[in-house]
Amino acid sequence: MRALEATRSDFVHRAGVEIFYEVYENTGPTLLLIPPSPITHSRIYKAQVPFLARHYRVVTLDGRGTGKSGRPTGTANHVRAENVADILAVLDATDTDHAILVAHCHANWWAVEFTVAHPDRVDGLVAISPGVPYLGRPQQHWIDVAPTWDQHLDDPKGWELFNREVITTDLERWLRFFFESQLVEPHSTKQYEDMVSWGLETSGEILADSEEAQEIDPPGRDRFRSHVEALEKPVLVIHGDSDVCQHFEKGLGLAEATSGEVHVMAGSGHLVAGRDPVKVNQLIKQFVDETTGTNLKSQVWSRGLGRPRKALYISSPIGLGHARRDLAIAQELKKLEPDLTIEWLAQSPVTNVLEAAGETIHPASEWLASESGHMTSEASGHDLHCFQALRRMDEILLANFMIFQEVVEEGQYDLVLGDEAWEVDHYWHENPELKRGSHVWMTDFVGFLPMPEGGEHEAYLTADYNAEMIEHIARFPRIRDKAIFVGNPDDIYPETFGPDLPKIRDWTEEHFSFSGYITGFTPPDPGETAAIRDELGFEPDEKVCVVTVGGSGVGRDLLEKVIASFPVAKEQTPELRMIAIAGPRIDPESLPRHPGLEIHGYVDRLYRHLSVCDLAVVQGGLTTTMELTAARRPFLYFPLRNHFEQNFHVRHRLDQYRAGTYMDFSATDAESLAAAIVKNVGVEVDYRPVETDGAARAARMISELI
Amino acid sequence: MRAAFPETAGRLDRDGVELGFEVYGDGPATILLLPTWTIIHTRFWKMQIPYLSRHFRVVTYDGPGNGRSERVLDPTRYTPASYAEDALAVLDAAHVRSAVVVGLSKGAQYGTMLATKAPERVDGLVMIGPSLPIAPPVPERASIDANFYEPYPADVSGWGKYNLAYWHDHYPDFVEFFFTGCFSEPHSTKPIEDSVGWALETTPSVLEAEAVDPEPEPDWMALLRNLRCPTMVIHGTGDRISAYERGRLAAEFSNGTLLTMEGSGHIPNVRDPVKVNLAIYEFVRTVTT
Repeated sequence: MRALEATRSDFVHRAGVEIFYEVYENTGPTLLLIPPSPITHSRIYKAQVPFLARHYRVVTLDGRGTGKSGRPTGTANHVRAENVADILAVLDATDTDHAILVAHCHANWWAVEFTVAHPDRVDGLVAISPGVPYLGRPQQHWIDVAPTWDQHLDDPKGWELFNREVITTDLERWLRFFFESQLVEPHSTKQYEDMVSWGLETSGEILADSEEAQEIDPPGRDRFRSHVEALEKPVLVIHGDSDVCQHFEKGLGLAEATSGEVHVMAGSGHLVAGRDPVKVNQLIKQFVDETTGTNLKSQVWSRGLGRPRKALYISSPIGLGHARRDLAIAQELKKLEPDLTIEWLAQSPVTNVLEAAGETIHPASEWLASESGHMTSEASGHDLHCFQALRRMDEILLANFMIFQEVVEEGQYDLVLGDEAWEVDHYWHENPELKRGSHVWMTDFVGFLPMPEGGEHEAYLTADYNAEMIEHIARFPRIRDKAIFVGNPDDIYPETFGPDLPKIRDWTEEHFSFSGYITGFTPPDPGETAAIRDELGFEPDEKVCVVTVGGSGVGRDLLEKVIASFPVAKEQTPELRMIAIAGPRIDPESLPRHPGLEIHGYVDRLYRHLSVCDLAVVQGGLTTTMELTAARRPFLYFPLRNHFEQNFHVRHRLDQYRAGTYMDFSATDAESLAAAIVKNVGVEVDYRPVETDGAARAARMISELI
Repeated sequence: MRAAFPETAGRLDRDGVELGFEVYGDGPATILLLPTWTIIHTRFWKMQIPYLSRHFRVVTYDGPGNGRSERVLDPTRYTPASYAEDALAVLDAAHVRSAVVVGLSKGAQYGTMLATKAPERVDGLVMIGPSLPIAPPVPERASIDANFYEPYPADVSGWGKYNLAYWHDHYPDFVEFFFTGCFSEPHSTKPIEDSVGWALETTPSVLEAEAVDPEPEPDWMALLRNLRCPTMVIHGTGDRISAYERGRLAAEFSNGTLLTMEGSGHIPNVRDPVKVNLAIYEFVRTVTT
């Protein structure tokens, strides 16, 4: 899912080619983001758009030959004059009188030529990794392979792949080589996948035509330089000093010729906007604000000793699971630190629980891009590849981090509490100078694990993510002031982080404190159980089976399977009563009905049903299964297919408590499920007791920091 | 020992009064740090000069009546217009075409007057805790004008000490009272000691000459509205000398930015110097590039 959808999108038809553009409406100055097409398109700015669109009006376009734009062929359609005319057409079509141009790589050449031709339409230029001729030297490898561009090579290698025949017959080979070369930064797998997939949206023919066309009719050196020097527009150059496409000196040259500013990204390669988006976003904003004079009119600074003690709590929004444990920790923390104010940066559905408890939700919460919406969009059937879903959530995490960072920069918080707040932990390690306040990282699992059917490549990816995390913590131990594992050392999955990486348990014991499990509630005693059953209308001679599949739409397949098993089970256990909760995203009316089966969209305080039932049928999520464990209820759990956390981490933890019956969704049909229901409903369990002091223990660890 | 020493320390004669000025650093932009009420002298900028002069050229001078300037007793030398003339003479002597001008308290009056008289010499104006009579004074000060020339009662206390006779009789006590009020922040012993020491370098007679208003009060609201340069106001909400509302309005009238210092007193550049330094730096950088 994207982090932000455009206000509107359309095509401008120019000389027989459709140029696609999107507009993110807002007040303030307009930014036009120009991608270096056709090798890529507007999505190259996916990490910039959500952030910039919160502050300015943003217009993006797909260059001719890729994305949603037309696919003209022939060099005549890909000369620079056409790209420059496309820019003008998009500004006109979007009623943009003038804009700050943001361009990457060779699109800067278009941006400069456009500015020379239409100075009144341009307020300034942000030139990222610019490739403008005559300003700094090109990379030697481009010069070396120019002569063989048109030749047939028997065995082209390396930069020789920059060859018309290779590109037109095996575009992917060129793209893979090129982007692997550009991403000099370690742990760039996601950026690499993105770039290659966008690159494949054009054709080899178009790319080759464009490469040739761009060099046609080069401007005279002196005349071009004098044009650039006469621009009189504010220019910001952002350039990695390890750029393998456009030599770093080209950035310096453009800044010098335009009397612009240059920001050197030391150790960065060509694709800084995607690989170091936080810094690039902040640089763009600073430049735009200075250029357009839209600085803050009024700001408040408070004397240190006069500041009230404040914490910002970021509760992972992927499921509802963390809301109650975070609330429990917050309540224990307030007992220890009565003068501590806690504000929450959280999204629906977590905010519903928090609001009901009278907690303070920070108003910026409404800006957050929906992580739970993304997860729902990634699920299909009883299947959620949560590792890949998390990777594909990169732009949402970044967009939300940028909001978080603005909140902490204004809010003067003493403490940032992140319960699996991946974006905070990741981007503070990537941008350690941005840390504000003490930081507590909390999680209930450590280590990404590959699913067997993902094969070697997935194992490589999970190991790479784990390695980056381990390196982050080794290099910047000051970013996590406290790391709390919600659980016990035995709960840690007995695996390594990957080849040549440490054992997860050894590493976690070294780097975490252990709070024990935190349910966020006290299970009812036998007297209370009877009272709640009575209150809920459970008859003494009934065996009540509660079915719940969580708040997302993911659970429909499971729900249908359980409902199908009901008549079979009911036949064998006549006292069986089944209460199925469809949740907010599944219409109860759309499910089949049977006598003795009730289907509800929503029940108040579902945990009370679960804590007194005779059997529960649930997904493999940690929170619900552990609630059932704490309440000592028999339950069947079905981990989502391809969900490494549910299949490995949660299952291992439940085994530590001897709790629940693991069920394989794809190997279970209505009959075998009915048999499992009949076998387990109402049985006595011998679970290991779940600790009840976890929240208090976590709160004590946190309070040491304030 | 001082943290920074001037490149040049000079003296100039402005229409018969000798003024001491100093120039620090040699950055591309220039900052002129104005004098304030002559009860203290240039050293109240001691937390700004070393930092700012690493980035900019910084010009300071003592106004008439304190520091290295003459203890002149002519009231016409203490009007805002006269201060503006002094500042222009200093800019000329230091060969400065234009500067970002920074004034504390009464310095905001001098800076506003300077930017009005010579807009081409002022790139921007920073007003810290501006003492501009554009909003009511802090309530405790409400009656000082009426009582200033009257005899003071034997049990005088508080702002009752803002009294000409009391100044002459008990100058050190008045000074102690005044600066204790300036630094309303807890733990301010050193800033109070410093300021008292600087105040004892001038005399009640100088303050008396300064207190006389030989000219009618300018229309400050109109002057602020007509300023052509960018402005920034820094004002503490704990300012007991000049009401916070004055700063807020100074920013509004001059269409400038406002930095509210929550819990800060009248002289935040001394008591909360880091934030003020960074804010001045940012402002100067923005208005001069």
